[in-house]
Amino acid sequence: MAMIECRELTREYHKADQVIRPLDGLNLDVPRGDFLALMGPSGSGKTTLLNLIAGIDSPTRGSLTVEGSDLAQMSRNGLAAWRSTHVGYVFQLYNLVPVLTAYENVELPMLLQKISRRQRHERVSLALERAGIADRADHYPRQLSGGQEQRVAIARAIVTDPPILVADEPTGDLDKASAHTAMTLLQQLNQDLGKTIIMVTHDPQTTEYAKHTLHLDKGQLVEAGVEREEVPA
Amino acid sequence: MTLLRCLPYVRKQMTRHRVRSLLTIAGVAIAMFLFTSVQAMNRGVAQATRTTAEDTTLVVYRADRFCPATSELPQDYLRRIEQVDGVAAAIPMMVVVTNCRTSLDVVTFRGVPKDGFISARLSEIEVVAGSTEDWQRRTDAALVGETLAERRGLRPGMTFDAAGITAYVAGVFRSDDPQDQNVAYTALPFVQMAGRDRLGIVTQFNVKVTDPAMLDPVANRIDELFVHASEPTATFSEKAFIGRLADDIIELVGFARWLGLGCLVAVLALVANSIVLGVQSRVVEHAVLQTLGYSGWLVAALIVVEGTLLALVGGVVGAGVALAVAHFGSFALSVEGTTIPIAADAKLLATGLLICGAIGVVAGLVPALQASRRQIAACFRSA
Repeated sequence: MAMIECRELTREYHKADQVIRPLDGLNLDVPRGDFLALMGPSGSGKTTLLNLIAGIDSPTRGSLTVEGSDLAQMSRNGLAAWRSTHVGYVFQLYNLVPVLTAYENVELPMLLQKISRRQRHERVSLALERAGIADRADHYPRQLSGGQEQRVAIARAIVTDPPILVADEPTGDLDKASAHTAMTLLQQLNQDLGKTIIMVTHDPQTTEYAKHTLHLDKGQLVEAGVEREEVPA
Repeated sequence: MTLLRCLPYVRKQMTRHRVRSLLTIAGVAIAMFLFTSVQAMNRGVAQATRTTAEDTTLVVYRADRFCPATSELPQDYLRRIEQVDGVAAAIPMMVVVTNCRTSLDVVTFRGVPKDGFISARLSEIEVVAGSTEDWQRRTDAALVGETLAERRGLRPGMTFDAAGITAYVAGVFRSDDPQDQNVAYTALPFVQMAGRDRLGIVTQFNVKVTDPAMLDPVANRIDELFVHASEPTATFSEKAFIGRLADDIIELVGFARWLGLGCLVAVLALVANSIVLGVQSRVVEHAVLQTLGYSGWLVAALIVVEGTLLALVGGVVGAGVALAVAHFGSFALSVEGTTIPIAADAKLLATGLLICGAIGVVAGLVPALQASRRQIAACFRSA
């Protein structure tokens, strides 16, 4: 059984008299432990699909089941609770809270967990170490490079140990070296920790780190993806 | 519990947006300083003029006179007043003030018969410095109310000049009666002789009745007694008397209530403006929090808490400064020898903080609800 199942998934927006349909009856299965890259032109529905899988948007029609839970049927509060334990989101522009240090940013999702301060500290420290940014724990986002910020964002996404990571153009704002570091990190999380990763990207080079690549256009899958046995180191 | 764990996040938002927080707190503090000061005057008016069931004091004044300088009654009215049914004690009093206008720094001398005063009032006042023996021994001695002593820096052994009278400070006393706190009690003949010879003339009689229910009947009997005399009297309960003399102040303070309300509206506007601007600049940040699993209600609560804390900190500063100024300045509004105290105390501070807290909640409520209901994905799209 697939970890993520999309059936006739449709998302519509209303803008004045127009109906915009970034996703139009999409069917997709994502198995557990997959590293899926989504490509396609602007407006093809990649980010919309990502947002739906992350539970921060709701489908207009169709069903979206993640680990047996139908996200379309969940309440706003129910979805918030689900997100806190099931999904980590990595943004293109990192979206760190500027007034908080790297440590405090990573700690944010942990404040929702009913665990002791010591346990929280251990989990945050572990996430920072795993992301290779522990030495910048006391730095504010403005004191970090883009690559370092993205590693803090990845640490924040994995600190609650969610089974799913979604990444919206995670290298879109990074130079080549930083992009490689960030992608290698995501790849390790997929291979070593078994995280299921769904990533939107415009960069064909980035897709080489993924196990599969799917192309979307006008809200639908246009071709079967490329499956890789070997991924670049 | 989750909200408590997130409080450091709120604190950091406040401390790390320092300029915004300080400006808001400063604005709230100024408004709350004004509000607390106005409320202190309001409470002073209420204390000085509100009749209670325990009131037993009447003031006998010259009819149709409205200030101590013109109220002149023969001192020998005392014997006839004391014979009226229901009168427990009567003290003739000569009142001399440094000025008859409304002022924050008026010195009021009350000349009283020393023996009568000690027997009638000693249980109601507490001598906190100096002694009553010294006061009784010297003809120019004054027992000075604590508020007046603090304001003028008077201590036992010092002499001071006011209203053409040079008096020696024999003691400083404390009293719950606001009319006592701001006066200097001296010997009646000493005040009568000061400036010009007015021996045998007093400004008023302070009359104690045996039963609070006797206030009006006794007042009527006294006025009937002198209705055909060359110096007719007008007798009022002490609170009504103060209300009559301080009518202008009371009217002004009543008007100042609107100023106080205006201050509260200003606090509301300041905090609401600060929160709205803060929320607008943090649309993506709140969307990130919700993406991380924060519920809309939790985000709303964080916003409301931030507004409430800003208002409370400003309130503590503003009301605290107002209280300190009132306490250390020892101000009292005086008119025609009567005193309207500026009654600032911890209760007033608590009231101010309660109001600030409520305003903080109200100010944060609308932007908080808006932030909690935003579509998360739409926030990222519009960023």
